[in-house]
Amino acid sequence: MITVPRPVAPPEGSAVRPAALVAAFATQLRVYRRAPTALLVHSVFYLMVTAVLSGLWRVAVAATGGTMAGYDPTAIVWYITTTEAAILGVRQRLIEDEGEEIVSGRIELDLLRPAAVFPLKYAAQLGEAGPKLICSIVVGVTWARLFGGAIADAGALALAGLALVLAVLVNVAAQLAMVALSFWLHDVKSTWFLYQKLVFVLGGMLLPLEVLPATAQTVAKALPFMAMAYVPGRLAAGHVELGLLGLQALWLVVMVTAAAVGYRVGLARMVRHR
Amino acid sequence: MDEPAPAIETDNLQRTFTVGRRSRRRTIEAVTGISFAVRPGERLAFIGPNGAGKSTSIKMLTGILHPTGGAARVLGLVPWNDRLALTRRIGALFGQRSQLWNELPPRDGYRMLGAIHGLDTATLEANVSDLGERFAAADLFDQPVRTLSLGQRMRCELVACLLHRPAIVFLDEPTIGLDLVGKQQFRDMLVELNETLGVTVFLTSHDVADIEHVAHRAIVVNHGEIIHDDTVAAMRRSLLRTKRIEVTFDHAIDTTELGRRLARDLGTGVTMTGPGIRREPKASATSTATVEVDTGRHRIRTVLDHILVDGRVVDLTVVDPPLEQVIGEIYRRPTAGDRS
Amino acid sequence: MTATRSITTTAATTTIRGLATTFGCSIRETMANRRGFALQISVMVVNDLVWLLFWLLFFDRFGSIRGWTLDDMVVLLAVLTMSVGTVLGLFGNARRIAVLISDGTLDAALALPVPALPYLLVRHVNVLFVGDMVYGIVLFLALGRPTPARLAVFVAVCAFSALLFGGFLVLVGCSAFAVGRSEVGDLGFNAITLFASYPVDVFAGPTKLFLYAVVPAGFVSTVPSRLVDEFDPRWALALAGLSIGVAALARHAFARGLRHYTSGAVWTAR
Repeated sequence: MITVPRPVAPPEGSAVRPAALVAAFATQLRVYRRAPTALLVHSVFYLMVTAVLSGLWRVAVAATGGTMAGYDPTAIVWYITTTEAAILGVRQRLIEDEGEEIVSGRIELDLLRPAAVFPLKYAAQLGEAGPKLICSIVVGVTWARLFGGAIADAGALALAGLALVLAVLVNVAAQLAMVALSFWLHDVKSTWFLYQKLVFVLGGMLLPLEVLPATAQTVAKALPFMAMAYVPGRLAAGHVELGLLGLQALWLVVMVTAAAVGYRVGLARMVRHR
Repeated sequence: MDEPAPAIETDNLQRTFTVGRRSRRRTIEAVTGISFAVRPGERLAFIGPNGAGKSTSIKMLTGILHPTGGAARVLGLVPWNDRLALTRRIGALFGQRSQLWNELPPRDGYRMLGAIHGLDTATLEANVSDLGERFAAADLFDQPVRTLSLGQRMRCELVACLLHRPAIVFLDEPTIGLDLVGKQQFRDMLVELNETLGVTVFLTSHDVADIEHVAHRAIVVNHGEIIHDDTVAAMRRSLLRTKRIEVTFDHAIDTTELGRRLARDLGTGVTMTGPGIRREPKASATSTATVEVDTGRHRIRTVLDHILVDGRVVDLTVVDPPLEQVIGEIYRRPTAGDRS
Repeated sequence: MTATRSITTTAATTTIRGLATTFGCSIRETMANRRGFALQISVMVVNDLVWLLFWLLFFDRFGSIRGWTLDDMVVLLAVLTMSVGTVLGLFGNARRIAVLISDGTLDAALALPVPALPYLLVRHVNVLFVGDMVYGIVLFLALGRPTPARLAVFVAVCAFSALLFGGFLVLVGCSAFAVGRSEVGDLGFNAITLFASYPVDVFAGPTKLFLYAVVPAGFVSTVPSRLVDEFDPRWALALAGLSIGVAALARHAFARGLRHYTSGAVWTAR
């Protein structure tokens, strides 16, 4: 005689469960606890990049009379130190890796769980970025203090910390929005390289946007990339401009919406047409 | 006795794919219309060669692929419409695609999955330790997944599918790549979870042994259609009657002579099908023979005794006939199947 | 005597033919997808143009810095993309030695009757970086003020730079023999490509020394590009000596690692 199992119904609820997001985030933290060398390698790499680039700018600014577009040698060191921290925290090949999940169809597995796909991906990526960001901040503040000197405005630095977090939030959301295009286009995953370069220049990672020619500067400041690097850098360089944080918040809403909708529609399409 | 509502029910379920670009666009019929019902608590093997439509079917039943025609209900839900509700009540294991983290021990992955399923800590802990005990796998839960063997990993993956106590588990080719011991342990787990937890098991495979060791019933698919649907007990009497004995002798023997001897001693139901004599160069001549035994007529043991009389056997294996042969057999006797 | 020699010759010929065929297959493999091929090359060229843009903006503002002008920088970028592109494009596995060791791909290579290191190196062609090579030569011809003499020096220094860069990658990659993980190799790769992207003269004392001696990034780009502009036999000799030295060291490290690996590859066994 076959006994019919009475399904133990787990609590019903919305597809976005905060506890699940926390768990996705925390799971990535556990990965670091198991393999902490990843953080060491990240810190060393971050320090190298920051040292070279801030060294270059400092020499250049000092050689040309002490200020450039409103940045003195100290400010430029803090600027570069901060923008590098913002960008290097995020997994370098996020677009490629997550795009591959979609192109290969492995993403189907995520549909077998009672949870919306994008929020979990987002939380997991932030879990990966968070500890890296913290390491970068520790290393970066030490470096900028020793090599660049103290920034007079402590309030600006505190705001820069907030802006750093927002920058990573915007960046990851924007990259996942790019990834979602893979549901429709085939070669999206190879565009990570170009996306990265856009962030480098138009996002202000390699140089303060003020260095760009006037038109380019206007364009760059109208694009989302500035929210990913320039804003925290600008604040850390001692400019308290609260409007910049507002811009970050705005881009965050736009990018999270784009990515969430992209994943939702893309997955629905995949289930239907694949 | 009233029949309970089926756990899985499909009616003329179909799926076509369009492949190729522009001028070369063509349509492939992956599943041409399958209908069957699975009772709650049943263990069903969904068997077919590669490309027969097994994965496509299982994807439609788990709601991650829309059909192009027909209907299906799983636990009363239409999978592709009520996917989210369904995921709370089914478990699914797709081949070797992992739901666990390589760097982390399974227990950490279970915590994550528990949170996704909305299980509270106490329930999760209880389920994990219950499953760990039941499947003697608890000692694996605290080692990083990358240090586990494939067989151990698959057992942990199966536990991951069961944390939320699903009513049905779908398994797509779970035994691929496992060694003999691993396969057997995994099959035992499936039987165990079915018998003691009452979980309905839906298993796809192209390994005939999975039918015999796991299933109550087997559906054989080929080219997207069901070509056979019967209980395993019945199949054992018909399609799975033959076993193969592969023997290696340490010297060259005349296999026709061996065949003649077996036929003389045992009568019909024992046939030689093997490659026959294989002579290695020089002195080290060995030969292999494959003997097919109709287990309805002869006990394997009896046939073995007759082969071993020769005394110079160096290796010997008893295996199921390959799936291709079973399928060929089904086609040869169309009345035995339920082909429409 | 004669017999021995002929056997050796045959073995060498076989090896070379084997490697050449492998290399041919690697190229065909990448060329198989024409559209992807063109796309990836353009992606890389755009990437390189972004860097050029950065330096344009930089020198536009500062004119020259510690004796470096945009013209010098163009030559440096041409050398850098040319040599990095050659190594990562044609010998794509050079940067993946550590990964190949730790994921067991090396085992498959060891089963073949060709030397493992050269085989691994020619086994993977990466189109993306072939784009770098194309860009490097075009950049030099377009903006590097080419004369026959400069072009000859350019080609020669690029060859040595590539040898040095490839040798360094294999050398750091061999760390995986000892530690069983690929992180050190990755970090070494990132470090040398990062530092080689800048003229090391810009930096002060200790940093500069570090970049010439420890991570020889200065010899990958700065020294070769200075040689194109102003040939100095002493620096040329230093470049040639260092690159041959590092390549030999890499070869030695790989051979040594291999002995360690075959005798005690415990960590690959589960």
